Amino acid sequence: MKPGNAIEVKDLKITYKCVKSLSMRKSLFHLRKSKLEVYEALRGISFEVKKGEIMGIVGKNGSGKSTLLRAIAGIFSADSGSIELESDSVSLLSIGVGFQKKLSGRENIILSGMLLGFSEQEVRDKMDEIIEFANLGKFIDMPVKTYSSGMYSKLAFSITAVLETDIMLIDEVLSVGDAKFKKKSYKKMQELIMDENRTVVIVSHSTETLEKLCTSLLWLHEGEIKMQGDTKTVLDAYNEFMA
Amino acid sequence: MKRFWKDIKRYMPYAKYATKSGLKSEVASSHLSWLWWILDPILFMLVYWFIFMVIFGQKKEYFHIFVFVGLSMWNLFNKTVSGSVRIVAANRAVVTKVYIPKYFLIIILLFQNLFKMMISFGIVIVMMLWSHVPVSYNVIYVIPIFVDLILITFGVSAILAHFGVFFDDLKNITNVGLRILFYMSGIFYVITDRVNEAIATLLLKVNPVGFLIDACRSSLVYCETPHRRLILLWFVIGAVLSAIGVAIIYKNENNYVKVI
Repeated sequence: MKPGNAIEVKDLKITYKCVKSLSMRKSLFHLRKSKLEVYEALRGISFEVKKGEIMGIVGKNGSGKSTLLRAIAGIFSADSGSIELESDSVSLLSIGVGFQKKLSGRENIILSGMLLGFSEQEVRDKMDEIIEFANLGKFIDMPVKTYSSGMYSKLAFSITAVLETDIMLIDEVLSVGDAKFKKKSYKKMQELIMDENRTVVIVSHSTETLEKLCTSLLWLHEGEIKMQGDTKTVLDAYNEFMA
Repeated sequence: MKRFWKDIKRYMPYAKYATKSGLKSEVASSHLSWLWWILDPILFMLVYWFIFMVIFGQKKEYFHIFVFVGLSMWNLFNKTVSGSVRIVAANRAVVTKVYIPKYFLIIILLFQNLFKMMISFGIVIVMMLWSHVPVSYNVIYVIPIFVDLILITFGVSAILAHFGVFFDDLKNITNVGLRILFYMSGIFYVITDRVNEAIATLLLKVNPVGFLIDACRSSLVYCETPHRRLILLWFVIGAVLSAIGVAIIYKNENNYVKVI
């Protein structure tokens, strides 16, 4: 890995085999001749992200953006190629983190935080900050199942934003909550950008978000890199393409 | 192997906390809350006691404790195994968002059921005191017996959890298998009284659940020494099964998310 890089992706290929939970009978009878339908979500892409950079990813639906983020987060394995990260401390933030619906927001903060690799004590130390940021009022002590979808996302965002990991992967969540919360999360994001040690990758469809936050952009098209470069250039080309 | 210990260290605190909160959420919305952990086994014991003591006239000493020990151990095995088959899909919300070694989902489930089993055995102790059951040093064998049960339950669950990701039908097959095993494990009857020797040997030695339940009863309630070599043998088998389960999950877990 080159010094100064936070993420290095080399010739990454990810395919979804449409095994789709076979039934027992089918799999028994077709064991030999099972020709799986293969869908290539990423077709050999390579790029690097420098430490401290905020990279945006654009592309139409189904171009492999979320797959790429999940692969970087270690949830998927690569079929070929490699992903190297300079730090183990990675978090993926996407709509609806796995909460225990019957438990209170407070309890879920600890669970999610521990899943991200923090100790119970570390999470408790940051608890007040998270609660204050999420701004859910008395709902923080109510079961998560009583939350509205906006509150749900606000809590999820606050956990990952306050419990800072070295590499943050953000999947289309900057538009959560009401206008006030949006403003606040923008501000928080910008704060995170200022930190030179943090690397952020954002997937978004919002031109405004990308323009405001990102230092560079990656344009994915049908599993391949169509363009990579500074935000303005790529965004203009992308918008022209989509128009 | 190295990875296994590293992950154990990294995720065990989470597993402990998740166990606690899982148990909490289980009772959060019921009125009698944790009382159910005590009521549930007692009520089932009464059902079996009524059927076999009153209707069929079973004549075994301390029959209520006999049934209770069997049920408690069976519940650990049954609930963990049947819950594990679809455990990856059931936790989709978590596994699609963050990496966690998938067998930890089983460990969490196992811990929860283990906690309930410990409560049940607390009741067993109370019942034994109540009925003035004599105790001998053989009680000590309960510990390796529990270890065996945990290892075998975990091993079987881990292997089923892997295949359960790909085969939906496995859930049904497992349920039928568990039902058969339930009747074959002598939970509410004395195996040696009911069937001929050949079948009894089969049920008590080849069937690990039947063997462990029987061994636990002998050592705890009837002051007998259980078959020590078999305890050791099942320990080895349990450890091997667990190792195989963890190995196949490690090898394949990154593809699970693509399927569910």
